[in-house]
Amino acid sequence: MIRIFHNTSFDFIKWWRQAAIATAAFILLGLASYLWSGGVNYSIEFTGGTLMQLEFTQPPNPAELRSIVDGIAPGAEIQEYGTSREYTIRARSATDADATSTTEGVAKAVATALDAKYTSEGYRVVRTEAVGPKVGSELRRGAMIAMFLVALVTLAYLAFRFEWRFGAAAVLSTAHDVLVTFAFIKLFEIEVSLVVVGAILTLLGYSGNDTIIIFDRVRENLRKVRKEPLYDTLNRSINETLPRSILTHTTTLAATTTLLIFAGEVLRPFAWVMTFGVFVATFSSIYVAGPLLLYIERRFPRSVTDKGQASPARVKADSKVEPRGDRPARPAGGTPRRPATR
Amino acid sequence: MSNLKYRVALILALVAASAWALFPRTVVERVKRDGAFAYDTVRRVPLKRGLDLQGGMHLALEVDESKQAVADKSDALDRALKVVRTRIDEFGVSEPVVQKVGTDRIIVELPGIDDPERAEAVVQKSAFLQFQITDKSQALDKVLPRLDQIIRDRGGVVTTATGDTAARRQVGAIPNLFSTSDSSAGDSTKSDSTVVVGAGGGALSKLLQGGQFPGEYMVAEQDVRTVESYLAIPEVQGALPPGKVLRWSGDTLSMGAQSFRPLYVVDARPIITGEYLTNAKPNNTPIEGTVVEFELNNEGGRRFRNETGKHVGDYMAIVLDDRVMGRPPVIQSAIGTRGQITMGNRDLQSAQDLALVLRAGSLLVPLKIAEVRNIGASLGEDSIAKGTLAMTIAIGFVIAIMVGYYRFSGVLAVGALVLYVLFTMAILAGFGAVLTLPGLAGLVLTVGIAVDANVLIFERIREELDRGKTVRTSIDEGFKHAWSAIVDTSLTTILGGAVLYQYGTGPVKGFAVVLIAGITASLFCAVFVTKTFYLIWLNRSKNVQTLSI
Repeated sequence: MIRIFHNTSFDFIKWWRQAAIATAAFILLGLASYLWSGGVNYSIEFTGGTLMQLEFTQPPNPAELRSIVDGIAPGAEIQEYGTSREYTIRARSATDADATSTTEGVAKAVATALDAKYTSEGYRVVRTEAVGPKVGSELRRGAMIAMFLVALVTLAYLAFRFEWRFGAAAVLSTAHDVLVTFAFIKLFEIEVSLVVVGAILTLLGYSGNDTIIIFDRVRENLRKVRKEPLYDTLNRSINETLPRSILTHTTTLAATTTLLIFAGEVLRPFAWVMTFGVFVATFSSIYVAGPLLLYIERRFPRSVTDKGQASPARVKADSKVEPRGDRPARPAGGTPRRPATR
Repeated sequence: MSNLKYRVALILALVAASAWALFPRTVVERVKRDGAFAYDTVRRVPLKRGLDLQGGMHLALEVDESKQAVADKSDALDRALKVVRTRIDEFGVSEPVVQKVGTDRIIVELPGIDDPERAEAVVQKSAFLQFQITDKSQALDKVLPRLDQIIRDRGGVVTTATGDTAARRQVGAIPNLFSTSDSSAGDSTKSDSTVVVGAGGGALSKLLQGGQFPGEYMVAEQDVRTVESYLAIPEVQGALPPGKVLRWSGDTLSMGAQSFRPLYVVDARPIITGEYLTNAKPNNTPIEGTVVEFELNNEGGRRFRNETGKHVGDYMAIVLDDRVMGRPPVIQSAIGTRGQITMGNRDLQSAQDLALVLRAGSLLVPLKIAEVRNIGASLGEDSIAKGTLAMTIAIGFVIAIMVGYYRFSGVLAVGALVLYVLFTMAILAGFGAVLTLPGLAGLVLTVGIAVDANVLIFERIREELDRGKTVRTSIDEGFKHAWSAIVDTSLTTILGGAVLYQYGTGPVKGFAVVLIAGITASLFCAVFVTKTFYLIWLNRSKNVQTLSI
């Protein structure tokens, strides 16, 4: 039997300060870049405008292409797309309310101009998208609501399945994931399209899963080993679930990297976010959710704590003692009637 | 073990159901070939592909309120929806989608369309058909002097204000630095004023030449815009003969070297409108070229006969969307239920499209296009090829990792994974869900995630084995303890997918569907199927001491 990271006893939580500094630095870097160079690189779907994907039979001269497009839509972005024969042209629409007709007009005008230069056999329009600004702003709002709702639904579910302290820690760590992912998207200039929003939402679920797996083990260990400080229980739970984490992340990473390499240009932003997300999920479920749970336990200790217990940091998660103190012994393996966590 | 029998029976039944759902079947597709509808039978796997995978066109239409406000938008859109649907159904695309989204938008999806501009035109055309009698009382001639006067008055005002305009333009030159729209407005007032000044006396009457019959006027092509701008002046509008309207012809007429666009004065009240039309079809006639022949229903025919009977010897303009089609024919005698619209020199396809929109009825409110996505079929094929490749490689990786690490148990997990892919596809096919490119990505991704449940269970079994429990107990305990974590993770992912489904559009909805279907299938496969595999194995080899995990 091959075993990796079996019976480890790393003190993960010890590193929480370094982890916090690293992740805060990354988020701040993203925020700084956001303030420095303006907003996120939204796709046409969100801003409104026109996108054309062209495939030429011969690699065109980029400067030539530039001058043609500039004559019609000044400031349009022109990018090589995968190969030197394929280009995308993005013209974001102006802010005026009714740009729909002009939005669509851009695609036609560009096609006419290209016909004149390259003849209609010299290139092919493989994809056009023209989105009015109203549709764009609606989509943007929808994406925001979706993200907010996912966070809310996760919170509600965790609060229902676990105790609120666990739920709050999990949701805060999920919020951290969103911030880090935004920073990543900004720093690596990934175009935010609907599909990328989908990736972010999936990532939220995925990272939440990881936290749940560890917390589930914490919950179980709290029931089993009653005299252990939460700090140690957390560490032990993370170590016990380590082989699972490594293996699951490896298979997921295998999937996302194949998408990144083989699935083509359209899915690349999605694959980047998901690949990054696997690392974020691993990191946050260990270094963010755990310490957060510890912090919350310290600030809001369980209601009926044993008076004789030491520092609140070492609150025994299940140190509730019956007033009469004669609790019957639990049958081994049975579910406790009144567990530390609901 | 009867329990085991039921388990196996259930799995086999599901496999059979999935295989049936995915079995390539013969479907009849309606396709348009050489301008005619035909039914094609194709054998294919009944999985719907989204527009981004098979190529096609996606349109979002909204009520256009730029010209006039629409009181009850939702109702207007409902009626527009019916018209658009009828038109699209006749347009000849297989499996088109026409649906209302929210209260103010219609989504049209046309798979495999190769001429997006034509599709747009067919969807957007109002197709409001009217038959109007041309004026024979020289009503316009009578008011022409007054119209000239009005224009001259306005011109005079502008002339005296030339200095003023110039000054205004100079003032305007400073804001020009900031706003381009302002400058263009300034320019247009300037060009307007010069035109008016240059026109001088009899501005309008000079540009109009009498046509071949009363009510017809010829305007040289280069003067059309000028005349339009005169006619747009509110005072001119007010001075036009009451009960009459002016309509431009849809075609130009060339006389010698010059081309003219006819302008018609017609009765404002149409003798009949397109609502009585029951059928319309294109035809090619040797004399009149391309025509659209139409038929009216009985009531329409009666009215038409009545009205045309009263107007024998008059000319009748056939007005479509405020444009006169062809030259108004003279009414020889009362016309019944049949008639035709001459299309001038246009080709048969435009006649076909006109017949199509006439049959479908007119759009009472104008629609504007809020969103267009057009994906070439080659891009779709490319996406499918790449997606399948990525999927194959990802599955290969996962199999290698699972079998390499868990050995025999890994093989069981791989078996469950194969069933997982089968079930997920079957769920998609069964519910008629649309597979999109992000959906394909979701499928690849869930392959990676799907084994998570198996990993959880196997790790748990290993722990139980480490505690010295027997193989059978360890397996039982492993499944039991991993269960709560598996349920938690699956449910949170499904909830997230549901939210995504609710708020996503098109392709992203496809992703959400795959995510939900995938997690559901994975829950079943990892827990139930793998457990059954174990049970079979335990059943066949009694007294096992070791488990390859």
